[in-house]
Amino acid sequence: MDYGDGKGKSRNSEQCFDVPRSLAERGITRRDFMKFCTAMSAALALPMSLVPRIAAALENDGRPSVIWLEFQSCTGDTEALLRAANPTIGEIVLDVLSIDYAETIMAAAGHQAEDARMKTVKEARGKYIAIVEGAVPMKDGGIYCCIGGRSALDIVREVCSGALATITVGTCASYGGLPAAAPNPTGAVGVKEAVPGATVVNLPGCPVNTDNLVATVVHFLTFGKLPAVDGKGRPLFAYGKRIHDNCERRPHFDAGQYVEVWGSEAHRNGHCLYKMGCKGPETFHNCPVQRYNEKTNWPVGSGHGCAGCSEPQFWDTMTPFYRRLPNVPGFGIETTADKIGAGLAVATAAAFAAHGVVSGLRHKDDESKDGKGGNQ
Amino acid sequence: MTKIVVDPITRIEGHLRIQAEVNGGTITDAWSSSTMFRGIESILKGRDPRDAWYFTQRICGVCTTVHSIASIRAVENALNITVPLNAELIRNLIIGTQLVQDHVIHFYHLHALDWVDVVSALKADPAKSAALAASLSDWPLNSPTYFKSVQDKVAAFVKKGRLGPFGNAYWGHPAYKLPPEANLMATAHYLEALDWQREVIKIHAILGSKNPHPQTFLVGGMAIPIDPNSQNALNADKIAEIGELLGKVKRFVEKVYIPDLLAVASFYKDWAGIGAGVGNYLSYGEYPLDNSGKPEKLWFPQGIILNRDLTKVHPIDQKKITESVAHSWYEGGSAGVHPYDGQTEPKYTGPKPPYDMIDTNGKYSWVKSPRYDGKPMEVGPLAVILVAYASGHAGAKGAVDMVLKKLGVGPEALFSTLGRTAARGIESLLVAEELPKWLDMLVANIKGGDLASHNGEKWDPASWPHEAAGFGWHNAPRGALGHWVRIRDQKIENYQAVVPTTWNASPRDEKGERGPYEAALVGTPLADPDKPLEILRTIHSFDPCLACAVHVVDPEGNAMVDVKVL
Amino acid sequence: MKQSQECLHEAYVWEVPVRVTHWVNVLSIAILSVTGIYIGSPVTLALTPSGYDMGWIRFIHFTAGFLFAISVVSRIYWSFVSNRYAGWREFVPFLSAEGRRNMWRMFAYYTFMSRKIPHPIGHNALAGATYLLVFLLYLVMILTGFTLYSEHAPHGPLHALLGWMFAHFSNQGIRQTHHLTMWLLIGFAIHHIYSAWLMDVKERGGVISSIFGGYKPVQGRE
Repeated sequence: MDYGDGKGKSRNSEQCFDVPRSLAERGITRRDFMKFCTAMSAALALPMSLVPRIAAALENDGRPSVIWLEFQSCTGDTEALLRAANPTIGEIVLDVLSIDYAETIMAAAGHQAEDARMKTVKEARGKYIAIVEGAVPMKDGGIYCCIGGRSALDIVREVCSGALATITVGTCASYGGLPAAAPNPTGAVGVKEAVPGATVVNLPGCPVNTDNLVATVVHFLTFGKLPAVDGKGRPLFAYGKRIHDNCERRPHFDAGQYVEVWGSEAHRNGHCLYKMGCKGPETFHNCPVQRYNEKTNWPVGSGHGCAGCSEPQFWDTMTPFYRRLPNVPGFGIETTADKIGAGLAVATAAAFAAHGVVSGLRHKDDESKDGKGGNQ
Repeated sequence: MTKIVVDPITRIEGHLRIQAEVNGGTITDAWSSSTMFRGIESILKGRDPRDAWYFTQRICGVCTTVHSIASIRAVENALNITVPLNAELIRNLIIGTQLVQDHVIHFYHLHALDWVDVVSALKADPAKSAALAASLSDWPLNSPTYFKSVQDKVAAFVKKGRLGPFGNAYWGHPAYKLPPEANLMATAHYLEALDWQREVIKIHAILGSKNPHPQTFLVGGMAIPIDPNSQNALNADKIAEIGELLGKVKRFVEKVYIPDLLAVASFYKDWAGIGAGVGNYLSYGEYPLDNSGKPEKLWFPQGIILNRDLTKVHPIDQKKITESVAHSWYEGGSAGVHPYDGQTEPKYTGPKPPYDMIDTNGKYSWVKSPRYDGKPMEVGPLAVILVAYASGHAGAKGAVDMVLKKLGVGPEALFSTLGRTAARGIESLLVAEELPKWLDMLVANIKGGDLASHNGEKWDPASWPHEAAGFGWHNAPRGALGHWVRIRDQKIENYQAVVPTTWNASPRDEKGERGPYEAALVGTPLADPDKPLEILRTIHSFDPCLACAVHVVDPEGNAMVDVKVL
Repeated sequence: MKQSQECLHEAYVWEVPVRVTHWVNVLSIAILSVTGIYIGSPVTLALTPSGYDMGWIRFIHFTAGFLFAISVVSRIYWSFVSNRYAGWREFVPFLSAEGRRNMWRMFAYYTFMSRKIPHPIGHNALAGATYLLVFLLYLVMILTGFTLYSEHAPHGPLHALLGWMFAHFSNQGIRQTHHLTMWLLIGFAIHHIYSAWLMDVKERGGVISSIFGGYKPVQGRE
């Protein structure tokens, strides 16, 4: 899959949003706004000298139109957006973006809602941002998700192919997520697979960390292009490092102090959750740094291991959640690769011991040299 | 006669479509279709039962804790695990906070726009809004300056000409009846509630890492350890923070939500006679006050009310729960069967998209039709409050009587669209006031030296029986939720969830009897069939959650035996 | 038997690089297995978080990994420049009819179907083929190991070299493979020591001492 390298692949990136904006008009003080920009700089790990540029980009440009599509989802990513703090959802809706279509929050319903989407697709072609939540079912002609009588596949192709850029929020929209977990009953896929030609930035996570979503939008508005991404289409600013390498419990890992029983002294003292199945060592995400709910906490911080939710197909590859390794197909859930391997090694030893015994009993081996020439 | 379609129904969780027949300005018949399907139960088969909560949690990201609670309760029930009291109380705090936060979001952000005309707020006199608000409560933000600033903000937004999510709505519709000052007050609180919900849900982050989708549940307890002398566990610092946030929960519900609810309701009393629905109510009860697992130890009682008869509360026999697929896109016969004998593969027979109309004579939804003893049941806050009220629950009785008195209506008004919306407020109020008490119980228990947060006796699957079966019930914000699980050889053999919106959004059953949405829509007046605001009011009063409702795949259809009562 | 011993002379079979890489492999596989098992399922060793027990064990594992990789690569190189006993043709006996026949003879002997002991000078044909498989497993271990290791620096040169692995396999799948292959190699080691002993006793070929000294007693007219 080609996710693009994010460095200049954003088509129409020179497009400007030309509606002039004024802070006073929005009822936001300049101080509030600079605070927001500073917070965004932090999220994007930008040097402070760029703060004025972000402010300028947002002041001079209008609110870009956004179509928020929702397919096979749990609405958890929309809910995550409601927890946005810098800026808040109220500011995002009123001041930062023009969210022309978002089923969960929009006032309109029925054909009036569909009209709003079609109007943006038609009139702002190549200028709007598509944000997609939830997977797209491909099986049986897409009948497993229909909106306004049209299939999700039909809608996502229309909306994303006409968008300036598409941001997928959550693992479902990025890689298929939960609906795509084995046996994938509905043939669910992520947006990039459903619309191969679209310019897509993946923001996986279950749900997406809203700070990363806001940071991506701001990056886009500021630099006029999409952030650089990794091989899985994820922005490096949020997915460039392993959880394990930023984890507050890493010293306990390196020391060799592990939680082995829930609620034990080791658990109460914040030792490493590696043995409880934590997938931090194989997961790229900025959870330990960015955290959730205004940096209040994150899974390891509350005593539960990482589930690897920002990785493709984590529902199949990172489970069982409370073990280090996946199940080996065809064996029970208690049977790990190491148990099977140790069993193999022991069986080998036993087989050769038996062979040795039999061999020892056979005194009269033929000393014929017939076989000697084998290597000559 | 006109046939109308509302698809998508917005401001709900998931994908819902309503088709209705309108005759002389009144809805004469209605069909509720869910148009999205994921198949989570078939994905669960063969997996570790300890992982199930993490999967089922993703059934819904709005009521983001409910399916994890029901799931761990089901597995604990199957394996006969008693969780420590601390864990039970932490769960109460998490699910109670979830309920109140969810109800407030529903009222202000999903439901309010059916009653509140945001555009009309521009015509309001901020001083009048302040006076109105001050007459309702002593909330500190009831000043004319504050309402003026909100009005200016909205005016600036509208002036830009791009209304974003507020575009294309039914503004100016004749069914909007609030005066401009009330519209302005409600609009201000719409924005305020956005900040409030973000703030108070940090309780979930403190106890469970994040929200949506807190990551802290464990079969056998909770992952957050308790230790007053550790910075990595639930300690005095975190308890104080939770206490502070619970205070904010309570104050907002008491001083903003309930006064707004009563103020709005007083202008829409005619809706106390509309949207009655099926008249049967089911509540599983909630908030265990100890760790015995006994239904009589639940703070909200369990029970059933039939035919709007509040004089009798019937006990629940889980064996009488059945689901029919007569009008749902699944394989199987039309007769209702117990969740354990659930129907099989998805079998779509609807029109090929794009389509205009779904033929409602045949199968027309991804939602099944659950029935109790053959009867459709309404679940949700109204059911919870009615069962509690009829059972003589002191808190419920006091709150219901207060609301009825303030609105000047009798108990019969509860069986309506307005009653459903009011019951949601009452439930929030009761839970918001009870939450600090559960925190106190938790503190007392920790003070007594009990630091247990998890019962690990059955954590190792090797300690499980070869076969086990159980179910877990939970009273979610949207009502009665049940998960049924069957475990064999340490793996999930079968999983079934019968969720609130399945009860409420169900299509007709094999006898042709309407589901609660469909029944509630019949008789609803419709001022303008092209702008069916009235349909949204009644549907939203149920707080639909379609991602929850559509989940059903049970390819084996095995019968379950020896089910213990939780 | 006596007669044959009279004709024995010492042949230089295993050159220095063959013996060195063999023993480096032995050492590094032993270290990698022990440290790897600990890394995969550790027990609490440190009393305070200022310890660095897992850190050191991982350091040893990675160092041994580099040693092993260099040794395997050197041995592969050597198979193209070595004497015939250690050359690459030894590992693909199945390419020739005679080689296949020799493999069958050895197989028949091992499975007690024949009492005839083949007496090759270098590897017996079946062993040669097995080593090909073992070297493939070595490469799997090196590839999966360094791929997993590269994730600590996703912008580093190692990741640039091996990042493509993640486009084809999941991280956990790679880890699973790394674990399983270790057990296969441990199984091989058991078999290897046993059959060397068996050959030493039965064939009296001095195969064990040869890997120390390089010389093997050989019958012949050379």
